[in-house]
Amino acid sequence: MRTISATKEAAREGRAHHRVLGRKAVAGYLFIAPSIAFLLVFALIPFLFTIYVSLHDWNMLVPLSRARFLGFENYRYLLFEDPLFWQTFRNSVVFALGNVVLTMALSLAVALLLNSRLRLRALWRSAFFMPYVTSSVAIAIVWSNLYHPTYGLFNGVLQFLGLPTLDFTNSPSQAMPSLIATSIWHELGYYMIIFLAGLQSIPGEVYDAAKVDGAGGWQQFWRITLPLLRPTILFVAVIITLSSLQVFDLPFILTNGGPVNSTNTLVLYMYQTAFQFLRMGRATAMAILLFVVVFAMTLIQLRLLRERE
Amino acid sequence: MSHYRINRRRFLQASAAALPALIAACGGAGTSTPTAPQAKPAITPTAAPHVSGPSGASVTLTVLTHWGDQSLLKALTPWFEECARKVNVRIVHQTVAFDQLLTKIMTGRLGGQSVDIYHFYNLWLPDFVGSDLLAPPPVDVVDDIKSSYGQGSVEGVTYNGQVWGYPTEVDSYQLIYNKRIFDEAGVDEVPKTWDDVRAAAKRCTKKDSNGKISQAGFMLIKGWDSGVVHPWLSLLWSNGGEFVSKDYSRALFNQQPGVQTLGFEMDLINDGSVNLGFGLEDFVSGKVAMTIMANWWGASLRASSLGIKSFGSAPIPYNDGHESVALQYNWLWGVDKNSPHADMAWKFIECLNSPRNGKASPMGEYLTTGLNALPSRLSDQKALANRINDPFIKPFVDALRNARTEPIIPGAQEIKTSLQKQIEAAWYKQKSPKEALDTAAQEADRILQEKRQ
Repeated sequence: MRTISATKEAAREGRAHHRVLGRKAVAGYLFIAPSIAFLLVFALIPFLFTIYVSLHDWNMLVPLSRARFLGFENYRYLLFEDPLFWQTFRNSVVFALGNVVLTMALSLAVALLLNSRLRLRALWRSAFFMPYVTSSVAIAIVWSNLYHPTYGLFNGVLQFLGLPTLDFTNSPSQAMPSLIATSIWHELGYYMIIFLAGLQSIPGEVYDAAKVDGAGGWQQFWRITLPLLRPTILFVAVIITLSSLQVFDLPFILTNGGPVNSTNTLVLYMYQTAFQFLRMGRATAMAILLFVVVFAMTLIQLRLLRERE
Repeated sequence: MSHYRINRRRFLQASAAALPALIAACGGAGTSTPTAPQAKPAITPTAAPHVSGPSGASVTLTVLTHWGDQSLLKALTPWFEECARKVNVRIVHQTVAFDQLLTKIMTGRLGGQSVDIYHFYNLWLPDFVGSDLLAPPPVDVVDDIKSSYGQGSVEGVTYNGQVWGYPTEVDSYQLIYNKRIFDEAGVDEVPKTWDDVRAAAKRCTKKDSNGKISQAGFMLIKGWDSGVVHPWLSLLWSNGGEFVSKDYSRALFNQQPGVQTLGFEMDLINDGSVNLGFGLEDFVSGKVAMTIMANWWGASLRASSLGIKSFGSAPIPYNDGHESVALQYNWLWGVDKNSPHADMAWKFIECLNSPRNGKASPMGEYLTTGLNALPSRLSDQKALANRINDPFIKPFVDALRNARTEPIIPGAQEIKTSLQKQIEAAWYKQKSPKEALDTAAQEADRILQEKRQ
């Protein structure tokens, strides 16, 4: 009898527990509903629409219902027939690699410098951060003047030093390095701040202990700073890679993809295809292919983070 | 079970992280669209539409142009007011920058907010006509256009045998030269033939102590499709060449005359007379002796510190045995097919383009004052002769007599961009002229074939 009553009591408690859990679950869903709605409206639906458009020939001047269905023709053309797609993809990768390596190295170096007991530290930090808050359009216009082969400042300095002048954005071989240099100058301050935050989260006791053990500056950097900064380095590497693969404004203003497509990036080509050639289907197919690359990069990031855990 | 949950969570994390990236990838271009680099004077969009006409008018027409600059609006609005009063309509004038005009037309159409009247570049005609965007003009308007405009301008607004709107601004290309540099170099006669150009360019070129060109004999404009292709096409036609076949089925620009034309440009580069790093501003500041450009650029030369009197213009140089032919292109007024007031829209446009008691039309007045451009209407060219016959502009007007209109073919913009890149590849010696033109022709043939389907 006692057993039956205990069972009933347990069942009652179980139901009550489930009710509480159920209420909590409903509340939880309500809390995340705005985010879900946001994702659906601004991410998932446009994503599905993008896939749909990428399977059609559509110029945006006619209703989508009149667009011609092509199946995977846009993808086939881009991957197997269009040399410019691969060239712009290569350009985007080169830009991303140059940006990742140099921006990371320089922003870390500046962060280390500004993390030390430097005079006017706040002023230096603001100075390095300022380009980041400047419009990239303005930056591109200013730098196009700095790069000008005849009256540009850079060639003026080279001439003053008795060195041969350069063509910068007017040379197919020098245009991409010039673009990367501009991008580094623009973004260095932002990543410097992230590295500074990472550096300041490393406990000072670790350095104190290392000093007691007789570790020098280099040893402290290689054995303490870099390993403990790993999550920050990884984060910065992934963010720079993703943003670099999607670069548009700088090449658009500074070089318009030239000379001879040497700085034409995938997103710039996408823009030209959509809004100059009126090939919305092909442009969205490029967007999907870029998405695949970006998605793969994100998965790699998660994998690396999991390994760290 | 636990393992499955972790994987699913990770997948969701990855998806959530990647979706914004996708949106950025899809919308990267759209969300970050700064003003395009353009050689034409920058025209800024107005903050709000400008309204003209009687407030009691029952019909409101929306007009879209790229004339948003305050000085242009100041010159244009009185004419809009006058015609709006005559036709008894209210005009809502929307403006965007030139590089946003096509996008604005596309998005307006897509969002069901098309305007009634467009002012647009004639190269867009095949796409507009193919998409049923335009209403054909009434018969009397077509008759007026055919009888009152030059042949090149009529051809410039005709597609598939149908006239689609009133021609407005017409632009032609000529050789533009710096008189001071010619004088200093002892070039007494303006070059007429390709050989003359090469010889004069050599004499006008100066190099600095490093051997770099500090003053160029000739400037090839690069990085801008029209700046590369329009002068090249003028030279091609002045060498007896053709751009495409008459039935628009295949490109012909890679035949012998085309290869020779690109070869002529390569000769100028190989002679050391061209600095590919130079841009339009270098010409304006007096560092270049010659280039081939359109009449609208005269506004920049007029405003330069050197002044318009420092510059001259002359017919496009031709290859021996041929005659000079300039390229011309047009802008035109057209009416949206879905406009509920198409008849009133045509009346308004007709008013803008009709002579006023023997005087120039409102558009003629506006084009020659506000925009510094050439009017297409023959009666306007006559009535405004004092404005368009100054020594610099006159050769451009004269050139219209035998100028050829930029080919209005399906996929024209794409073909033009492809040709521009290939011509530049030859200039930078990445390809031979023949290889470059064959590649561009192959691409053009593919585009033409696709557009015919």
